[in-house]
Amino acid sequence: MKTHTRRDFLKTTSGIAASAALGQSLLARGASAQQLSFKPESGAALRVLRWKRFVQGDEDQWLANSKKFTEATGVAVTVESENWEDLRPKAAVAANVGSGPDIIIGTNDDAHLYPDKLVDVSDVAEYLGKKYGGWYDLARQYGTSGGRWIGIPMGAGASAIVYRASQVKAAGFDGIPRDTEGFLKLCQALKAKGTPPGMALGHATGDANIWCHWLLWSHGAKLVDENNRVAINSKETEAALEYAKKLYATFAPGTLSWLDPSNNKAFLAGEISLTANGVSVYYAAKNSADPKVKAMADDIYHANMPIGPIGRPTEMGLAFTAVLFKYSKYPQAAREYLRFMWEKEQFEPWMEASLGFVTQPLRFYESSPVWKSDSRRFAYRDSVKFMLPNGWPGKLGAASAAAMADFAVVDMIAQAATGAASVQDAIRMAERRAKRFYS
Amino acid sequence: MRAPQTQFVPGTAQPPGTQSFLGRLFDNRHFLGLLFMLPAGALLLLFLTYPLGLGVFLGFTDAKVGRPGEWIGIENYEWLVTDSVFRLAVWNTFLYTTIASVAKFGLGLWLALLLNEHIPFKASIRAIVLLPFIVPTVLSAIAFWWIYDAQFGIVSWMLQRLGLIDTYIDFLGQPNMARMSVIIANVWRGVPFIAISLLAGLQTISPSLYEAASIDGATPFQKFWNVTLPMLSPIIAVVMTFSVLFTFTDFQLIWVLTRGGPINATHLMATLSFQRAIPGGALGEGAAIATAMIPFLLAAILFSYFGLQRRRWQQGTKD
Amino acid sequence: MKDTEQTAGMAYLVSLPRKVVTVYIPLGVFLVVLLFPFYWMAVTSVKPNAELLSTTGNPFWVQHPTLEHFNKLLFHTAYPSWMWNTILISVIATFASLAASVFAAYAIERLRFRGSRQTGMAIFLAYLIPPSILFIPLATMVFKFGIFDSKLALILTYPTFLIPFCTWLLMGYFRTIPFELEECALIDGATRWQILVKIILPLAVPGLISAGIFAFTLSWNEFIYALTFISSSENKTVPVGVITELVEGDVYHWGALMAGALLGSLPVAVMYSFFVEYYVAGMTGAVKE
Repeated sequence: MKTHTRRDFLKTTSGIAASAALGQSLLARGASAQQLSFKPESGAALRVLRWKRFVQGDEDQWLANSKKFTEATGVAVTVESENWEDLRPKAAVAANVGSGPDIIIGTNDDAHLYPDKLVDVSDVAEYLGKKYGGWYDLARQYGTSGGRWIGIPMGAGASAIVYRASQVKAAGFDGIPRDTEGFLKLCQALKAKGTPPGMALGHATGDANIWCHWLLWSHGAKLVDENNRVAINSKETEAALEYAKKLYATFAPGTLSWLDPSNNKAFLAGEISLTANGVSVYYAAKNSADPKVKAMADDIYHANMPIGPIGRPTEMGLAFTAVLFKYSKYPQAAREYLRFMWEKEQFEPWMEASLGFVTQPLRFYESSPVWKSDSRRFAYRDSVKFMLPNGWPGKLGAASAAAMADFAVVDMIAQAATGAASVQDAIRMAERRAKRFYS
Repeated sequence: MRAPQTQFVPGTAQPPGTQSFLGRLFDNRHFLGLLFMLPAGALLLLFLTYPLGLGVFLGFTDAKVGRPGEWIGIENYEWLVTDSVFRLAVWNTFLYTTIASVAKFGLGLWLALLLNEHIPFKASIRAIVLLPFIVPTVLSAIAFWWIYDAQFGIVSWMLQRLGLIDTYIDFLGQPNMARMSVIIANVWRGVPFIAISLLAGLQTISPSLYEAASIDGATPFQKFWNVTLPMLSPIIAVVMTFSVLFTFTDFQLIWVLTRGGPINATHLMATLSFQRAIPGGALGEGAAIATAMIPFLLAAILFSYFGLQRRRWQQGTKD
Repeated sequence: MKDTEQTAGMAYLVSLPRKVVTVYIPLGVFLVVLLFPFYWMAVTSVKPNAELLSTTGNPFWVQHPTLEHFNKLLFHTAYPSWMWNTILISVIATFASLAASVFAAYAIERLRFRGSRQTGMAIFLAYLIPPSILFIPLATMVFKFGIFDSKLALILTYPTFLIPFCTWLLMGYFRTIPFELEECALIDGATRWQILVKIILPLAVPGLISAGIFAFTLSWNEFIYALTFISSSENKTVPVGVITELVEGDVYHWGALMAGALLGSLPVAVMYSFFVEYYVAGMTGAVKE
């Protein structure tokens, strides 16, 4: 959806003059000043392309914030949004062709596919990090390449265990067990009670990748090691796949063909009692026009993903990073925009309006009101802290992006879990495919 | 053959010898022919022939979305031959095409024979029958998607009410079930085209042939086998060539219903090519997969050509 | 070809009960199967969400029909843009293709210039090259020409499958026009251009309509080019928009999806219903040639 926020010419010029005067007196780059400000170029106008919101409030507040920016600086901002899967090729084309939006807020490895086409935004990043309690490791990993910041991390859309508290209780559990073994027992109990869980094993670009990587990593297995060498063929992977087989046996039917919306649909229809997802299920229930579904919202709770034999959280999510392209004519205006939108006055209301769909990248925002106003969302607060980047423990880049896009891990788990291939064969196939990407 | 410009009719032609060079040029059929071919020819050369060659070329490079590639020879193909997903996609494509085409032909022919009978409202029925073919594939695929839903599908609901099944059928979640489901959707869409085309062919068969056969004591089946089929075979050849070709290279139906899943069980070469090239970013590999389809297309075209040859022989006229 | 001609001879030999079993019942089954998904589409698009997702009650009928899905579709998504885009692109591509095809068909069929037979064959072969082979190289060309994510990309690429078909069809039509008409005109001293415009075109109007309708339907049905070359919401066509955007992040909107599918099929279906004969003639004409 596009928004044109333009002021007419006279107001704009006087606005720029005023803010330029203000900016001059406040300008303090690099130093640990409380307020950093960049002077936008005269006549600047920005095009921002971001991923399409999962939650309506997200978009509304983002546009409102952008409008505030225009009013403060006189720089017109056009915000466009696109389906996050469509965004990837579009951003790659813009990078390659050398023209397009000034700022693109992409997902996961995007920035690492063309780091040399991106402006070094270390000044903005360092400032924000110092002011707001520092970046989480995950944010740093996604935002930096070769020692410099190539993008400003926005946070991540996290996944947590979404469950019907009443049904979990009826199965004999007080909550979600913190360890994977206990979690498996819970799922088996849920199935026995006729309220099975269900997670996507189809080519669901978000959901399937997220929970499959969690499963793999939690058992100490990995696709590649720290040096990007393929390391999937291991005892840990076998253990993970054996676990997957047992877990799949508890699932509701049909998960093999589930795409991203399928688990939401099944959950809201009462077909499954538990799944891994972002806060969108809860949101859809709370705002449903159907009274039955709305009543369900009171029964929906969230818990972090269980911890496996590896002994630490190994979550995966959809990381968002804002990048500024070198071809942009207004890099200063863009830097100011990024700084502005990440400041508390804008970022916190936006997080609140997004209902916690995006977990923050900076530590300060842990205390943001959104985590207090509805305790049900609390599990998502620490997601970024627990998250690991795509291709962990290897490096982000074209190889990790390609491996995820080809569903190498998801297919391996799906094959082993359903018995379509033996555990050994599934591992071998994934190993071959991984070698292709990481060669 | 051009008529000589010897007659002068007032007001129409120029007197002999007074036509300008340009005028003569524009009357020369060779020049004019080439000129008339220009718009179509230019567009087709630029957006069809050139991309075809470019596609083949790309298959020999490691081009990615966002950066041009380098020549890597047959490396893509070497990889693909050993890639189990690709091999599965090739197998799926053959399976899908063969089963769907046979089904479409059988059902299409049957429907054509039914429509050929003396029935009321024939024109309206014929119009209705074509609807699945008219409506955009993707949109009717959405309807099937909902019909095939594992929790709320209507077919499961009906079968359950009839007492034939206990639990809802997982149409798109089990590999073989998914294959069957997409084939059914494809057949649903393709039967009208085949039926109406064959119907047109049936209508050209002179009834006197049937009458003669009846007089000779032929059974309905013999009439069908010895009169209908041979007379129809040229049309069958053309129609089935089109059908096989477009089934082989089908993309829309699979993409909407299953995206190639579950676990690549319904991936065709076209959908795999798309998945590797666009979301996956590997344009070179995608192009290689697409190029691998070409030999089969050539085979289909040759088959169609020989079918046409037979027709020429049968009807004894110059094509 | 009149229907009565062919079966009048022996129809009386088939008794009615037999006919019911061998003809009417199978035909009825065919019709039900062919039409059911449309009925289902229509019913789902007016069913409120509560009924859609309930497992009780009769799903074949709607208890409380609602227009909320259409409302959501038309006023809260970019559907109107998609519809407009699709109409615009289909109409322009169809007209452009028809124009090019008329000239090409006339040149091949009538002017019989040197190499026209081979050109005719080449055109036929061109139709057999499917979009799923060409979309990748075309994508790289579209990126390079800077028309990625614009309607122009589709307007330029759609004729690649429209022109071959229309040309082939029109060739067949031109063949049915007696050559004597042209010869007379030539003898009278008319130029080729005049012959084309004043004699051939008016006589070929049925063929033009057939080709036009078929081309329009083909454009409307196109998916893979639109999916690959367009990414902004406002530039999408109906098939691509409905598939990629009516699934909001990760929530299905079945009602809106069906409403979108239904509305998206309407223009083509309406156009088709007015020109059924032409459409069928076009389809069978192409196949017979």
